[in-house]
Amino acid sequence: MARNTGDNAMIRLEGVSKWFGNFRALCDVDLTVDQGERVVICGPSGSGKSTLIRCINRLEEHESGRIVVDGIVMDDDTKHIADIRAEVGMVFQQFNLFPHLSVLENCTLGPMKARGIGRAEAQKLAMEYLEKVHIPEQAGKFPSQLSGGQQQRVAIARSLCMTPKVMLFDEPTSALDPEMIKEVLDVMIELAETGMTMICVTHEMGFAKTVADKMIFMDAGQIVEAATPADFFSNPKSERTKLFLSQILSH
Amino acid sequence: MAAPSRKKRRIHALDIIVLAAVITLVGYIAYRVDSVLVYKWDWSAIPSYLFRWDEKTGTLVPNLLIKGLVTTIRIAIWAMVVASILGVILGIARTSERLFPRLVSWAYVEFIRNIPPVPFLFLFYFFISSQIIPLLGIDEFIHSASPGTLTVAEFLFGPANLMTNFVSGMISLSMMSAAYIAEIVRAGIQAVPKGQREAGQTVGLSHFAVMRYVILPQAVERVVPPLAGQFITLIKDSSLVALISIQELSFLAMEIAISEQRFFEVWIFTGIMYFVVCYACALAFGRLERRMGAYRR
Amino acid sequence: MSAVDATTDGLAAPKRLKRRVAWWKSAWFDVVQFVLLSGLLIWITWRGAASMDYRWQWYRLPRYFYRVIDGELIWGPLINGLFVTLEIAAWGMVLTLIIGLITAILRLSESVGGRVLAKVYLESIRNTPLLVQVSIFYFVLQPILGINNPLWTGILCLAFFEGSFASEIIRAGINSVHRGQWEASTSIGLSKTKTYLYVILPQAIPLMLPPMTGTLINLIKHSAILSFVAVFELTTEARNMIGDTFMSFEVWFVVGPMYLVLTISLSTLVGWLERRVRRHR
Repeated sequence: MARNTGDNAMIRLEGVSKWFGNFRALCDVDLTVDQGERVVICGPSGSGKSTLIRCINRLEEHESGRIVVDGIVMDDDTKHIADIRAEVGMVFQQFNLFPHLSVLENCTLGPMKARGIGRAEAQKLAMEYLEKVHIPEQAGKFPSQLSGGQQQRVAIARSLCMTPKVMLFDEPTSALDPEMIKEVLDVMIELAETGMTMICVTHEMGFAKTVADKMIFMDAGQIVEAATPADFFSNPKSERTKLFLSQILSH
Repeated sequence: MAAPSRKKRRIHALDIIVLAAVITLVGYIAYRVDSVLVYKWDWSAIPSYLFRWDEKTGTLVPNLLIKGLVTTIRIAIWAMVVASILGVILGIARTSERLFPRLVSWAYVEFIRNIPPVPFLFLFYFFISSQIIPLLGIDEFIHSASPGTLTVAEFLFGPANLMTNFVSGMISLSMMSAAYIAEIVRAGIQAVPKGQREAGQTVGLSHFAVMRYVILPQAVERVVPPLAGQFITLIKDSSLVALISIQELSFLAMEIAISEQRFFEVWIFTGIMYFVVCYACALAFGRLERRMGAYRR
Repeated sequence: MSAVDATTDGLAAPKRLKRRVAWWKSAWFDVVQFVLLSGLLIWITWRGAASMDYRWQWYRLPRYFYRVIDGELIWGPLINGLFVTLEIAAWGMVLTLIIGLITAILRLSESVGGRVLAKVYLESIRNTPLLVQVSIFYFVLQPILGINNPLWTGILCLAFFEGSFASEIIRAGINSVHRGQWEASTSIGLSKTKTYLYVILPQAIPLMLPPMTGTLINLIKHSAILSFVAVFELTTEARNMIGDTFMSFEVWFVVGPMYLVLTISLSTLVGWLERRVRRHR
């Protein structure tokens, strides 16, 4: 299991547990993610992967344990929650773009209303990131006029506009048609190359092999295995991991 | 008016049956009115209640029925404004994360929705006119206002001598309508997917900013059509304040019917007046909605 | 509420751990606030009444419910009014269902005349106030049709009013049964009437039940408007009592809850019905 690696830790989870009613979604999870590290989390559905990363920016409230992001302790203090959210960007399975705002407005809303940046500067920033995800020409359109892949890339740009230190991806390609998965993964690989700290929940094992520094396999709310991609794919230690990999890699 | 009576028979002969039923009913009514009641229809008095000739100025001025209609529309518009403000606050409170605002809003909405409007109006009118109206200081305002301000106030709230009466009726009506608007607003907010709030939070927006820039703009689109319907409901419900002697269309119709002893003509004509106004509103809102819908998606 | 600190070893903790919640964030504090607010409202009402020199005379109320004369129980006006309200609701519901059903059949039929008639009926009910409808029924139709009991005029009027909603409920219920059911019935050779009887209605009626109970609640609520004409239901009796005794607050504070008990118990029934219907789907 991953252990603390000194002062370089960007995210540190210690004994984090979370219940939904009587169902224990997270069971005493320890995890450390260093600055610039790319972590890919996989596991069967209902294993607590999404819950885990949603706890990191307080979309879910953990009930015991300790979460520290960039030295800020996650507690009930709304100031701390806001500070952490300002450093952590998130991309959702269902994109969750704001349908009533144009692509550009989607990207400028956070910088303008949360950071207090002026409109002109926010738009300049937004165009910069829209170029990084290769769709500056769509800036004036509404989300409903874009394809799924384009929408997800806008969602990535929207998060980047807040200049986060960490990016969380919650199954970013699961809701996409097969022919659109690649354009999103390409953007994510480019982002990984810039040295961004990333945690991705995904089943795209090709992507994982390319970018991951660390692979994590979760089952029943616990981290079953954490290893480098080389070890993880060629020499998994746990039976559950082996079973999962055989199912997911069989085709 | 419709002759709403018919008999249920075989489907294949339905047209003939419907026709026969309508003819029978109309015939029966004509027979009763002509031969049994020996009633002489006389619509001649109606136009003079719409407009009358003012001898002093030598112009045509609105008379009771038109004045009543204006009061009805005026009270509906004002009640809509007040009820919308109150209803939006209550609707947002209903979706709050805290229990207290939810409890208050829930209690208000359930209280209003489960008590019949008529007893509610009586109790509220009694309370508002004796307790709240003196606090508003309308009488002092009327006495001290300059003629110019008074003209504006009369345009907005109706004749000065009836203003307190108008305002208390309007407030009672608003209190009632607010409960229904609160439900509309709550449904609109809850129809916005949960992911929208989460996305707003992850780009760093505060609770207030998420509401202001993400949730409410999307809720508005869903809320406007039922709100338009609520306005038509308000025009109709405003007739209830006739029971507490607010001088709107129904109240004046009642008075005219009694003084003229022309119940048939006056009530049928009043029904038509309401129908024209409400139906016109419904058509207009329907067209507006279609145009809004065509704008996006 | 058990409050264990967050750093406890999770493995050794079999029970759910709950972080300590600040007292002003707990649900109890919200309930206390709510009770205080309700108390404040009652106090304001009481102060308001006091400032008008209102004389509370609660002791005079019981005899308006019932009296015992020579060992014989005689219902007072409030109970009699309640009975009339219930009578209106019961007969009104029967007529509402009949009118609603006929209108729904006309609207779903292929007959142009039927659809036009249904449309004219629905639009005229929807676009005029209930008060005006009551007036037209009472002052115009009652003498013309020769109805000699205002109670029945009232019931008829309410039934025509609620019937417009009932027809909508019936139509929506029938339309909500999947089209494939029609096609399947035709394919096994059922006639239109038999399809309705054996396939469509058994599926549609459970769906209509909860909103129909809502219509019954509306009947009770709207029956109060009949106090406008000479129907001696609960609100009329209340108004007459106030005219006699000037106990406005006492009377409305009693009559309001009487309606509340009726409507809330019916809403509870609706909620129960809805849960049952959902369980069966």
